[in-house]
Amino acid sequence: MGNEKLQIKKLYALSSENRKYSFSLPLKHTIRIGKREYEVKLKADEKYGTYILWKNRKYPVEIVRSSQNKYEILFNDISYTFTIETPFSLQRMKVLNSTRGKIEKEIIKAPMPGKIIDVLVREGSVVLRGEPLVILEAMKMQNEIISPVHGTIVKVLAKPNTNVMKDDLLVEIKL
Amino acid sequence: MDLSGKYYKAFNDRQSAIEKQYSPKQAEKQHSKGKLTAHERINLLFDNSTFEEIDAFVTPADQPVEFGKVERSYGDGVIVGHGKVNGRLVFAYAQDFTIMGGSLGIVHAKKIAKIQEMALKMGSPIIALIDSGGARIQEGVASLSGYAAIFQNIIHSSGIIPQISVIMGPAAGGAVYSPALTDFVFMVNHTSYMFVTGPNVVKEVLNEDVSFEGLGGAEVHARKSGVAHMIYDDEENTILALKKFLSYLPSNNVENPPVVADDGSINEINEKLRDIIPEDPNKAYDVKDVITQIVDRNSLFETSELFGGSLVTGFARLNGKTIGVVANQPKVLAGVLDIDSSTKGARFIRFCDAFNIPVITFEDVPGFLPGVDQEHAGIIRHGAKLLFAYSEATVPKITIILRKAYGGAFIVMNSKNLGGDFSFAWPSAEIAVMGPDGAVAILYRKELAESKNPVDLKKELVKKYRDKIANPFIADESGYIDEVIDPAVTRKKILSALNALNNKWVKVPARKHGNMPL
Amino acid sequence: MNLMKIKRILIANRGEIAVRIMKTAHLMKIETVAVRTVVEPNAMYLATADVIFDNTEDISEIPVFLNIEKLIAIALETNANAIHPGYGFLAENAYFAQKCIDNSLIFIGPSPDAIYKMGNKTIARKIALASGIPMAMGSEGNITNEEEAVVIAEKIGYPVIIKAASGGGGRGMRIVRKSDEMEKMFIIASKEAEKAFNDPSVFVEKYIENPKHIEFQILGDTKGNVIHLGERECSIQRKHQKLLEEAPSSALDEKLRKKMGDMAVQIAKAVDYHSAGTVEFLLDNDKNFYFMEMNTRIQVEHPVTEVITGLDLIEQQIRIANGEELRFKQSDIKLKGWAIECRINAEDVQAGFAPDPGKIESLNMPTGPYIRVDTGVQAGSSIVASYDSMIAKLIVRGKDRKEAIKNCKMALDKVWIKGTKTTLPFFRMLVRHQKFQDGTFTTSFIEKDLEKYYFNSEYEEMLAAWLATKLFVEENLNDNSINVNFEHGKVMSPWLLNKRINQF
Repeated sequence: MGNEKLQIKKLYALSSENRKYSFSLPLKHTIRIGKREYEVKLKADEKYGTYILWKNRKYPVEIVRSSQNKYEILFNDISYTFTIETPFSLQRMKVLNSTRGKIEKEIIKAPMPGKIIDVLVREGSVVLRGEPLVILEAMKMQNEIISPVHGTIVKVLAKPNTNVMKDDLLVEIKL
Repeated sequence: MDLSGKYYKAFNDRQSAIEKQYSPKQAEKQHSKGKLTAHERINLLFDNSTFEEIDAFVTPADQPVEFGKVERSYGDGVIVGHGKVNGRLVFAYAQDFTIMGGSLGIVHAKKIAKIQEMALKMGSPIIALIDSGGARIQEGVASLSGYAAIFQNIIHSSGIIPQISVIMGPAAGGAVYSPALTDFVFMVNHTSYMFVTGPNVVKEVLNEDVSFEGLGGAEVHARKSGVAHMIYDDEENTILALKKFLSYLPSNNVENPPVVADDGSINEINEKLRDIIPEDPNKAYDVKDVITQIVDRNSLFETSELFGGSLVTGFARLNGKTIGVVANQPKVLAGVLDIDSSTKGARFIRFCDAFNIPVITFEDVPGFLPGVDQEHAGIIRHGAKLLFAYSEATVPKITIILRKAYGGAFIVMNSKNLGGDFSFAWPSAEIAVMGPDGAVAILYRKELAESKNPVDLKKELVKKYRDKIANPFIADESGYIDEVIDPAVTRKKILSALNALNNKWVKVPARKHGNMPL
Repeated sequence: MNLMKIKRILIANRGEIAVRIMKTAHLMKIETVAVRTVVEPNAMYLATADVIFDNTEDISEIPVFLNIEKLIAIALETNANAIHPGYGFLAENAYFAQKCIDNSLIFIGPSPDAIYKMGNKTIARKIALASGIPMAMGSEGNITNEEEAVVIAEKIGYPVIIKAASGGGGRGMRIVRKSDEMEKMFIIASKEAEKAFNDPSVFVEKYIENPKHIEFQILGDTKGNVIHLGERECSIQRKHQKLLEEAPSSALDEKLRKKMGDMAVQIAKAVDYHSAGTVEFLLDNDKNFYFMEMNTRIQVEHPVTEVITGLDLIEQQIRIANGEELRFKQSDIKLKGWAIECRINAEDVQAGFAPDPGKIESLNMPTGPYIRVDTGVQAGSSIVASYDSMIAKLIVRGKDRKEAIKNCKMALDKVWIKGTKTTLPFFRMLVRHQKFQDGTFTTSFIEKDLEKYYFNSEYEEMLAAWLATKLFVEENLNDNSINVNFEHGKVMSPWLLNKRINQF
């Protein structure tokens, strides 16, 4: 039972469209295109903020959010969402996806009576856990109702400027 | 070393037998369920080659009555031992589902109890990696008594050494109380379950259909029951997070928490903090934006993130030293205190108190959540827990009032007369018995009813109320808070307060224990 | 030279257009007054004003720029003798223009009468019809019920469009393709119109499929001279919101330009139009054009016309309001080169152009002989949810369309904005799109011809993936928890250690 066997040697960044980028560890600060390796630098300064320097061009970057192994990166004004997977977690994902056939959904209900101020998602939008779905005014405060799961919105029942009771259905999310 | 001599024959035989027991085939079985083996988990947790296993060769107890099949195996389905995690001594046990489903027999239980006792004696954290079918039916009451001994050890160690459970498979029946008694519970999404009675029994007794995951999966326990404090999507991330988590905790209740070199990337003066609170006092913001601008970079480790979300709890560092953070979250239910957030906060504060971790409170609370639901479910009782925990804690306690601090909730959230050491307020703070609208409605009911233009009158009175009562300056001038500070210097203020409180000691009257309103 | 009566202008607006107006006023040695609001107390437009009126005490939900009484009072209090409404807000409010006149303030814009007539689409249609302007067939006036709508639709043929009489900006508009959709659409349009414009009146006209949006810039003085400054094409729009405009249009030749321009002048003359205005047409596949509406204000996209004519439209507005006669005739107007304007907004292209308000952390706009940037924000400014989401207008010039697109492509790569998401990725895609390059796009381009709303080069996602991985590695694998100093936790003052141990 050699210990080294279990050291993580490779990581995969899995995009939301299931494109897979693999990086070997320790992580190199270069990216290979064809036969050439190009240096990547992550930098920050007063004028530009945080940016990546690659092939003599600066690209603005921002870490929009991260939770656990999920990262949303704003790169040159476009957001990308990745989960970082190890070889085993990738395998595990495949195993679980094949055994868990049925689609599960999450129903978001109003946590308290109030008035819907704004609905921030539409049917078909992809949401991450922690993302606001609906703004509900109650107790004279605007409350963001946030998504407890990653998923796709399948139904939006909340309508702006309507009153809801506690436990009224607001949004349905497909996991 | 030449191990071919005659003394070594038996040694070699056993060695190869155990290697056979943990064969790749066995591992494959576990992998096919999306799980790692107990050895793989141990190896991932401990620093390279530092784990020392004990009792690897014990065998299951002999059965007095022949009922069911007992596999003859080495180790009896659990790996116990000690090693280094990030260089520090940590004890652990890992149940092995590939051997008799990780079921708990008496030998298995005794191994766990042994390592628990060692951890307590050495004053070192103990980690339980749980993946077990439950009590070993074949062993009957012996197995149950095994559980009892494990529980007793956990309770004895509680508050002395950090005890953490990681649920990586099933944990059912009485077995769930072992993690429930420990300080923190990690769970792995989709492959771990905890319940007292399983779906089959639920179906039989109540005729309710529920899946394993729906009844006691990680999501359920993280969001609804609050049993799980941290959940992750896979085992590797779970263990990586656990290692990180451990780095915040001291080894025992006499030590101080470990210290990390601060990279100095957070300025003592941070002007960004001035812009976080919205101009409109009824608008929400994310209190985590405040916290992350104050604590060391990337150092916030949130606990029970998905449960009682109107209160944020978690560990963080200030100049490399661990602090416990408790913060009302205006983004969720306006930051009100409800049953879930009160109990979550109370338990977190008690942990910090037990392990010498200063508690920093960021306050923006409009009050307790009103409603029949909450009152009938006992918000009085549960809110009292938070009050009790704050008041009882003797670690340094610092409060920063960001915005709302109204009524009973103001008292509860570590107010100065409740034993808070330092209490600072941002200029945006509103400290009063109740919010402007409520206060005006009560104090000027008659005037408002008689007024020709009640809307304008109310507006005017609200403004007056804010100017005269609901601001931090009155509390400051009368000594109910220590200082109104510029948000930009918050980190600096907390650091110097902590410095002053470094040797804080509170003499508590001798007693067996307080009687917390559980 | 005429004596300048206008001494001090109250800018009844904010943002980019306020900055733009002040720039010209400054050149003309006219003082300006800007209004500081509670929503944007440190906005950039305040920096260039001669006088700032502080209105931050006003915490009403309705912006001051919509409060006629308040604006008049501010003008009087600050001794301004003219008001420029900019675009949006009260720019096309006849009552506001009249109020200015009533208070002896010079309204920099057309007459209240012209604003009223062109603002009501039913009246505008009647005027256009009387002046012989080609128009999509439709109802003669407002219609009151869906039966009436069906009768008209049967006569002119489906598809038809229901439009709000007092509308604009796409609200209160519904396309009807079959008679059984009419009832539903009629009610929706009418309700929407009532909600948005406080007027439920609607009318029906023939819906032109896949048209180009062509508009003519008009200038008229108070002496009855009216000329046009050529056209702008604004076919790149999403839900009737213009995203990119150019001048001239590749769809027009000299002959058509003259024909359409003459028509535009004709309709302006019909209402005795003075000041700057815009006549909008739809141009179908067979080069038939139809009058759509006239905007009685300076347009967001006015810079493209300025670039190809060399005129300052704000200056012309001020001079006309001052009573001066136009100093040039139609024949003096020569269009030179090509100009493209990209509206860089704080919007999330990936989330269906949803507004993405926030603080601009850094902003670096390109400069150069072929670039003009009109903006009302700088690093540190906030894009607030209560106003529009514009960050900047990037206006790029070229000797012809091809060169303008090439320059635009280069300029877009040099724009650097951090803090909010922007429409930049959309423009980066657009300038690379074949249909845009060959000029064959129509107003349905975004809905029909686009597979993807944004452009990213082949390697951008990979670089982002690298960054995500790097962060993961830093946070989890070589996290500083490895450098945890556990010994440090054991060091403490003897006083405290003693107390802790003897506690039990």
